Amino acid sequence: MALFAELRRRNVFKVALLFAVASWLFVWLLGDLQERVSLPVWTETFVYFLIVVGFPLALLFAWTYEITPAGLKKADDVDQTQSIVFKTGQKLNAAVAVLLVLGALAVVGERLLPTFEFLVPGVPEGEAPMANTTPAEIRSLTLDNGLKIIVWPDHDIPNVVMYTFVRAGGRNEYPGITGVSHFFEHMMFLGTERRAPGEFDAEMEAAGGANNAYTSSDVTVYEDWFPRSALETIFELEGDRFENLAIVPDVFESERKVVYSERRSSIDNSNFRKLHEQVQATAYVAHPYQFTVIGWPSDIEAWTQDDLVSYYRTYYAPNNRTVIVTGDVTSEEVFRLAEEHFGPAPAQEPPPAIRTVEPEQLGPRHLVVEASAQTPLLHVAFHAAGAAAPETLSMNLLLNILVGGESSRLHQLFVEGEGLAISVGGYQDEGFDPGLAYFYLTLPPDGDPVELERRILDELTRVADEGVTDAELSKARNIVLADFWRELATINGKASALGNYDVFHGNYEKLFRLPVEMKTITAEDLRAVAAKVFRANNMTVGVLRAPAAKGPQ
Amino acid sequence: MIRPWLRSLVLLAMLFTGTAMAQGVTLPEVRQVELDNGAVFLLHEKHDVPLIAAEVTLRGGAVSDPEGRAGLASLFAGLLEKGAGDRDAASFAEAVAAVGGSLSAAAGLEAVTISADFMARDADLMVELLVDMLQRPALAAAEMSKLRERRVNLIRAAKDNDPRRLIPTYGNAFLFLDHPYGTPVNGDEASLAKITAREVRAYYEDYVGADRLIISIVGAFDVDAMAEKLSEAFAAWRAAKAPLPEFDSPAPETGRRVLLIDKPGATQSYFWIGNVGVSRNYEHRAELDIANTLFGGRFTSLLMNELRTKAGLTYGASASLRRPTQAGSVAIISFTKTETTIAAIDLVLALLAKLRDEGFDEELITSGKNYILGLFAPRLETSAQLAAQFATLRAYGLDASYVNDYGAAVAGAGSEAIQSVITSVYPSPDNLVFVVLGDAALIRDDVARYGPITEMAITDPRFRP
Repeated sequence: MALFAELRRRNVFKVALLFAVASWLFVWLLGDLQERVSLPVWTETFVYFLIVVGFPLALLFAWTYEITPAGLKKADDVDQTQSIVFKTGQKLNAAVAVLLVLGALAVVGERLLPTFEFLVPGVPEGEAPMANTTPAEIRSLTLDNGLKIIVWPDHDIPNVVMYTFVRAGGRNEYPGITGVSHFFEHMMFLGTERRAPGEFDAEMEAAGGANNAYTSSDVTVYEDWFPRSALETIFELEGDRFENLAIVPDVFESERKVVYSERRSSIDNSNFRKLHEQVQATAYVAHPYQFTVIGWPSDIEAWTQDDLVSYYRTYYAPNNRTVIVTGDVTSEEVFRLAEEHFGPAPAQEPPPAIRTVEPEQLGPRHLVVEASAQTPLLHVAFHAAGAAAPETLSMNLLLNILVGGESSRLHQLFVEGEGLAISVGGYQDEGFDPGLAYFYLTLPPDGDPVELERRILDELTRVADEGVTDAELSKARNIVLADFWRELATINGKASALGNYDVFHGNYEKLFRLPVEMKTITAEDLRAVAAKVFRANNMTVGVLRAPAAKGPQ
Repeated sequence: MIRPWLRSLVLLAMLFTGTAMAQGVTLPEVRQVELDNGAVFLLHEKHDVPLIAAEVTLRGGAVSDPEGRAGLASLFAGLLEKGAGDRDAASFAEAVAAVGGSLSAAAGLEAVTISADFMARDADLMVELLVDMLQRPALAAAEMSKLRERRVNLIRAAKDNDPRRLIPTYGNAFLFLDHPYGTPVNGDEASLAKITAREVRAYYEDYVGADRLIISIVGAFDVDAMAEKLSEAFAAWRAAKAPLPEFDSPAPETGRRVLLIDKPGATQSYFWIGNVGVSRNYEHRAELDIANTLFGGRFTSLLMNELRTKAGLTYGASASLRRPTQAGSVAIISFTKTETTIAAIDLVLALLAKLRDEGFDEELITSGKNYILGLFAPRLETSAQLAAQFATLRAYGLDASYVNDYGAAVAGAGSEAIQSVITSVYPSPDNLVFVVLGDAALIRDDVARYGPITEMAITDPRFRP
């Protein structure tokens, strides 16, 4: 018992308690911090290690040393009659109490109050300061159910834009249900347990709002544009359809016809889309990016109610969505409305990961589509990278040099100079998984697709060998920078940009680093990405032309 | 001055009563400079993003295309991008792109416009390029023949793709026939082929000059300095040689006629059904906008509800108003799979009759008003949008009240006035011009029920027989 009394006298128990409380608070704060800023993954392990190792050390310290008015002394050397361990003990008690109260407040506070994001200042550099730092008024919050909300207040006009990004698209499909993501986008407008089909749009438009939606291979995005006065209505409408969607059989069947009409109009009656669909399907042998977003006709005819129900549960869960609100709002009111209308839905198991990685292409692929056409088409696609890959910005700049407008290399060569094409364009997919760098050209009626294909390969090989000039690089940077500002000139552009960056780059703050990041990219980076991507063995070529003349040529 | 507590009380009261304030838009003040030679500059500073936008308007446009030369104004506009001042076509394009600018010229029905959008730091370059385009365009013969050939081929390419883009061109051409409003703005394959470089230069002399020039600039720049710069650049500029074309307002069609455009193998039929409508300064604009919104101007419109949502006949259906200086067109546009061509057109005709007979109830009218007002502000959000709005008002001889009083006019529109606008603007189903594009072999006999048919092929080099 003497040992016990002595442990007590030397405040060892109190130090142990203080250590425990402080550690708990520290771990909790760390967890909170981790949600807001990206810490290295080993941070947590390291902190636990420190705590475990630190605990016996602290106890040993408390046993060995004593605080005296003259400073720290070995306990054994202190005259017991002069000891102030009692006073130190009181201080320790007070410290424990204060930490406990703080901890309790924080825990309660977290439940009751929205948490605010710490803003990481960007790099303050360059002539347009706002271009390089995240504007301080942008806030984000992640609800308990995993739904993330990002708000950018902007009071220039009395209007608001809401974008909802759902991480579901063609890449989440498989044979038999192709097109279901896009079809689901349609169903989201067609009734809930509380609202009959058509009421969603009728209520939104009556409140002065308009909406649209689009589906890609990666995401389904819902867009609402409305006056400030409709803010509450929109949250209620969106909360309702994301939580209580009803899939009514009659409505389902009628909408199937609408989607078929969309397919006929946008694919069957468009030579461009007809060819694009075939090239996409040919470029991939394994990855689901091969599926046409609108779906193959047989699948449009065959989707079942069950396909939709399970799709909704998995992919439309709050933890699979990100909501962006920009315009005439405050972050506080948006967080409050989000908590109220989007908060109740429970999180679900995360959707299964897309495991398939497209294998390396082993040689050039060619395909021909025969269709009624006065002007033949040539599409050339190469496997490139995903949105978040470092080389994607280089490819973006390179494509601006090759096909961005009248002054671009390929336009000047093929349209203005050689007359081989009447229009040239290109883009790259910027999705979750590696996508395509894609060139599309329209030929004059008597144009020769074989010759044009040869010329494109020449020019792409040239850029892979010789790179680009400094003037071209500077032009590409300026085009991207000006487009950046044009996008941020509207609340709609702001919502779209924030959403795309947060979803595809993992963090909306990266958007504001674009102008600085661009400056670090060199002409050599562009040459390197050209050499990596523009290889004949990595290429899919599609030609659309009128049916060949009958009989031997 | 309202005290803070009083203001919050007012705000609170508004919250509780749920009063929606009329969401009007008031145009910002614009500096107007008018030179002796008639050139007009409209300038306004807006500093939210480091951009500057310009809209140049030259009154004239496709209505001034000579007989058989549809597309002349459009070709001229296209050539403005192909070199000016000391720059040839390639270096002009390079000068724009090198700084991330965008600059395009196009013809409309009644004006040629140049739209420019640059980073503010490049404002001087933007003005230099605009001045060169207007005063020293190259209009080189070689560029002209290249562009002309390309334009012809782009029309062919458009015919190979989704016909939704072309159907209004066919519709207006067949409705207005020889009236200037029937001119296909970008020309057709036959008319473009006939245009010569000499004609393009003559167009420049005849229809381009200070007396019909409006330059509107909005963005991050200094108004005083810009006013001075533009005045200096244009003070000595010449006037256009020829007067603007004058023509009568087209008369509404009576009876019916049908144009069938054959696109063999098409799996859908596309249609445009219309008649002569109203002009830009039609006095009951607010009432008409409400009616058109409810009939075919939004997702829950009557046309969309019935054709798409209820019947699943189509992906899209709309009512379109084209409102130039004189009476333009009013039309219903949609498409459906070949087998349901007649079902869809019959439904449209029934809905048109229903619109004229019954109109819309009060609840829908309020909904339509809210919709128009709620989405009004974002249409004038950017520098480019404001610049275009200032220029358009001036070109049509309208003042700021056209925008500023619109919100109140919409909010105050009464249901009787709306109904009387409906019966006067939307044609009776007996008086309609039909344009149907599809696989003629499969629909020819059925479409004949709508009136006397004229037929052409999509590959014909014109947009009307």
